[in-house]
Amino acid sequence: MLTQQLVNGIVVGSVYALIALGYTLVYGILQLINFAHGEIYMMGAYVGIAVLGVLAAMGLTQQSLALSILLVFLVPMVYCAAYGVTLERVAYRPLRQAPRLSPLISAIGMSIFLQNYVQVAQGARDKAFPNLLSLGSFEVMGAHVSGLQVFILAAALAMMAGLQLFIHRTRLGRAMRATAQDRTMAALVGVDVNRVIAVTFAIGSVLAAVAGVMVGMYYGLVNHYIGFVAGIKAFTAAVLGGIGNVTGALVGGFLLALLESFWAGYVSAVYKDVFAFLVLVVVLIFRPEGILGGSTEVDRA
Amino acid sequence: MRKWTLSLFAVSVALLFAASSPRAAETIKIGVAGPLTGDQAAFGEMLKNGSLLAAEEWNAKGGVVLRGKKVKVELLWGDDRHDPREGVSIAHKFVNSGVVGVVGHFNSSVSIPASTVYSEAGVVQITPASTNPKLTEQGFMTVFRACGRDDQQGEVAAEFIKNKLKAKNVAILHDKTTYGQGLADETRRFLGRLGIKPVFYSGIVQGDKDFTPVLTAAKQKNPEVVFFGGIHPEAILLVKQMRERLGMNAAFISGDGVYVDEFFKIAGKAAEGSYITFTPDQAKIQAAQGVIAKHRERFGKEVGAYTIYSYVAASLILQSIQETNSTAGARLSAHLRSKAWNTALGKIQFNAKGDVLESPYVVWQVKGGRFVQLN
Amino acid sequence: MRSFASAPLLGLWFAFLALPFAGWRGALWTGLACAALVAAARTLGRVLRAEPVARRLAMAQEAIGESWEFMLRGTRDWRVAALVLLGLVAFPWVLDRYKTDVLVVAGIYVMLSLGLNVVVGFAGLLDLGYVAFYAVGAYSYALLSTWYGLSFWPGLLGGAALAAVFGILLGIPVLRLRGDYLAIVTLGFGEIIRIVLNNWDDVTRGPNGILGIGRPHLGDFRFSQPMHFFYLVLALCLITMFIVGRLNRSRIGRAWAAMREDESAAECMGVNLVHAKLLAFAFGASWAGLGGVVFAAKQTFVSPESFAFFESVIILCMVVLGGMGSVPGVVLGALILVALPEALRELTLFRPMILGGAMVLMMVMRPRGFLRERGLRLAEGALPPGVPREEGR
Repeated sequence: MLTQQLVNGIVVGSVYALIALGYTLVYGILQLINFAHGEIYMMGAYVGIAVLGVLAAMGLTQQSLALSILLVFLVPMVYCAAYGVTLERVAYRPLRQAPRLSPLISAIGMSIFLQNYVQVAQGARDKAFPNLLSLGSFEVMGAHVSGLQVFILAAALAMMAGLQLFIHRTRLGRAMRATAQDRTMAALVGVDVNRVIAVTFAIGSVLAAVAGVMVGMYYGLVNHYIGFVAGIKAFTAAVLGGIGNVTGALVGGFLLALLESFWAGYVSAVYKDVFAFLVLVVVLIFRPEGILGGSTEVDRA
Repeated sequence: MRKWTLSLFAVSVALLFAASSPRAAETIKIGVAGPLTGDQAAFGEMLKNGSLLAAEEWNAKGGVVLRGKKVKVELLWGDDRHDPREGVSIAHKFVNSGVVGVVGHFNSSVSIPASTVYSEAGVVQITPASTNPKLTEQGFMTVFRACGRDDQQGEVAAEFIKNKLKAKNVAILHDKTTYGQGLADETRRFLGRLGIKPVFYSGIVQGDKDFTPVLTAAKQKNPEVVFFGGIHPEAILLVKQMRERLGMNAAFISGDGVYVDEFFKIAGKAAEGSYITFTPDQAKIQAAQGVIAKHRERFGKEVGAYTIYSYVAASLILQSIQETNSTAGARLSAHLRSKAWNTALGKIQFNAKGDVLESPYVVWQVKGGRFVQLN
Repeated sequence: MRSFASAPLLGLWFAFLALPFAGWRGALWTGLACAALVAAARTLGRVLRAEPVARRLAMAQEAIGESWEFMLRGTRDWRVAALVLLGLVAFPWVLDRYKTDVLVVAGIYVMLSLGLNVVVGFAGLLDLGYVAFYAVGAYSYALLSTWYGLSFWPGLLGGAALAAVFGILLGIPVLRLRGDYLAIVTLGFGEIIRIVLNNWDDVTRGPNGILGIGRPHLGDFRFSQPMHFFYLVLALCLITMFIVGRLNRSRIGRAWAAMREDESAAECMGVNLVHAKLLAFAFGASWAGLGGVVFAAKQTFVSPESFAFFESVIILCMVVLGGMGSVPGVVLGALILVALPEALRELTLFRPMILGGAMVLMMVMRPRGFLRERGLRLAEGALPPGVPREEGR
């Protein structure tokens, strides 16, 4: 049972972490809670379904599985990047000089809008996410592990490694770190701050898209309100790890999911969120900026 | 400047007056309330379409005969978004617009608080779907239920588990809602009477996606049967995760909230062999055939689980208006209780509480990708 | 929007975005609608900026602003105040039962948002779990009423007091937290209260909620109709507005303002931060508790569903939309956010979508809310233009 709960937690954790990265990246640069980020993740899953529908109609899923899987991830990534950038342009950029809470309210408005737009356009009923990958399953130390779970963990880790490389090894990544530290200074030394912010939104949304498609594949079911719960959980994870800190988002995501998994399995399934929030409060009492928050300025992005 | 303000004030007061001028009542108004938007909109649509069919049928005949005149039926929609507070607000709105009867609400958690308002105003309320026993246990004259009760459903489920499945280890899960927990608790009570004590009992969080932790804990107790009180989104995930993630092969049983095509369409192979307590096959009820055909013609799709119940609820209100020649709530509710009705669901008779006398719940099974009624 | 190229291009972009959700046809319509809207908005903008129109518009704006100021000043004149009061008292006689009921709900929200305004607007503490105190008030009266038959008036005090206790309980562990860390902890607190209410079956009857809560009595008179509650809520709202308005100009109000602008500076000036923060939480919470008791008495039914996270969000939106810190602004915000969904009720399916869109639009057009706090304007004048105000990073 212990290993099984570990497996359960790690898979959920990689999804939390991917979404939490989007919150943390945007927060690091704009100090803004991008409340609509969960909806981007939800929309990623829906775009994935649409792509699968088109592919199936063309008969491509039969011919080339590898290409279809690539497209099922790639198209939602492109689309979500577009959604993220548009979101920033429409709802946040006009409010950049406004009081702190104003962008938060427009983010909440955007979240309500997007969630209900999807409901109107796609219907309120659950949508099936057809399963492309049937990778089988195997037993490890008494735990049931499916190939899909391994795939999800591997894909999530690959995305996170890619993000770290991007932030630390590229020009744009350096510009992001500079902007996160001091927006005015970055602009003075020639960084195009608006472009950096747009790129940040695009990257966060791409990660959310991957999470959305993976969740669709994993649970086989998508509806228009999955973004809300996932958004709150991922935001909690980001704060737990230290918001604004990339490694913190990973730590927070996995930690939160594991805590939930063990509490639900051993103690009480209905009080797992209470436990998760209590842990958050205790952590914040002793480390008011999260587990890794405020420790290294270099890692902020 | 002072004039400015005064005129502004005067205009706004005038607007308020204008907005609230009463309209002449020339129709019989029936309120239809349920979750018309939001995640449970699919159910709301069933209520809407069913009552619409009934109203259109009467209107095609020219309307309901009331005091020698034919009066058209007008339906008012109320979207309660399965929120109890919205439900009360809708109830006030209905009462205020002078509805004679209400078809609704869908969720027990909404029907119960709304029934207070209807009862105080003397408006007949027939719910086509709220199965929580409490609704009719409040002692309101105006409350009726066209569907069954959770205790009847729980009894059927418990007997099926004991006698047909011959199971001893039963795990019970529910979604911590009025409906889900109510159904799970009734099932647990009847199982107890049959000498079976569940080996595992737990709530889950509605809206969550991952139930593997709680299922893993349940798996430790080696249940032969998993009973779930709740509705289909969670049921789909539960059954999928039982089969695909954890390799559990315990039988899965649930209630009428899972009788939705999505259950086997989305869960696919995982749902195969699952049991569901529900009312008998509507396709086999002779009286329902007309409604089913009309629904197909009017909306281009098959009836849902509660469509015919809503149709019956609306028809009963309209029929008793015509028969009593009155729109007074007290007379209508007395008349509704007074006799056995021939409806699209067969013979229906209400008892003193407003429940249908016999509620024939039966067990269905998912076989070959569809629901099949077991005998 | 102008840097985003021209209207047709914008239409094309949104058509592309809508494609996976709306299909070919839907995307086409979306694109056309967006292009038309943008073109219309631009033409309108050009017309409004043109000389004679712009001048008249500026005049009208000024006139509205002046008349509003005048009205506010006027309410201090007892004759005008009496007239306004008379108008308010006449409402239920003019409006029907349903509209009165909506006004009662609006009144409860006015109380709630004024209470939250103390925490967020005055003291600058972002609270995303305010609904927890509302729930505490509602449930404490519900339980006391159904178990011990406690009547409404002591229940009102009891609910407020208990909520204040919870406010302090929440306040103590979060004293050191700032800004968004505070936000997530308060969010968690709100969720914890809701989950406990939903699962502590023996006491709260879980998801079934509590039925048969006693209605208020005044002597032999029993409050049962929406009209009766209207007067009750109206009285409570006026009291709240009076107290909150006074508070803002009091010693503690100035301490909160100082704390909101700069905690360290406030501490140096001798503001006791612990004291000020706890007082803000307790005061805001007790008002939510009052609102909760009234809500429970009006509905005669409470269940955990009424206290979801989204409720906190909506109350926060009322505060920010109306104009944080300004009492009339917050009242206006609450009325708008109750009235808007009511006005859109016929558009069932599109209602939440339009509500969300409207929130974005209102914020983008008036980033500081409809009415700004008076004191704030002075403070801003002291800053060079374009300098963003940084709050608790």
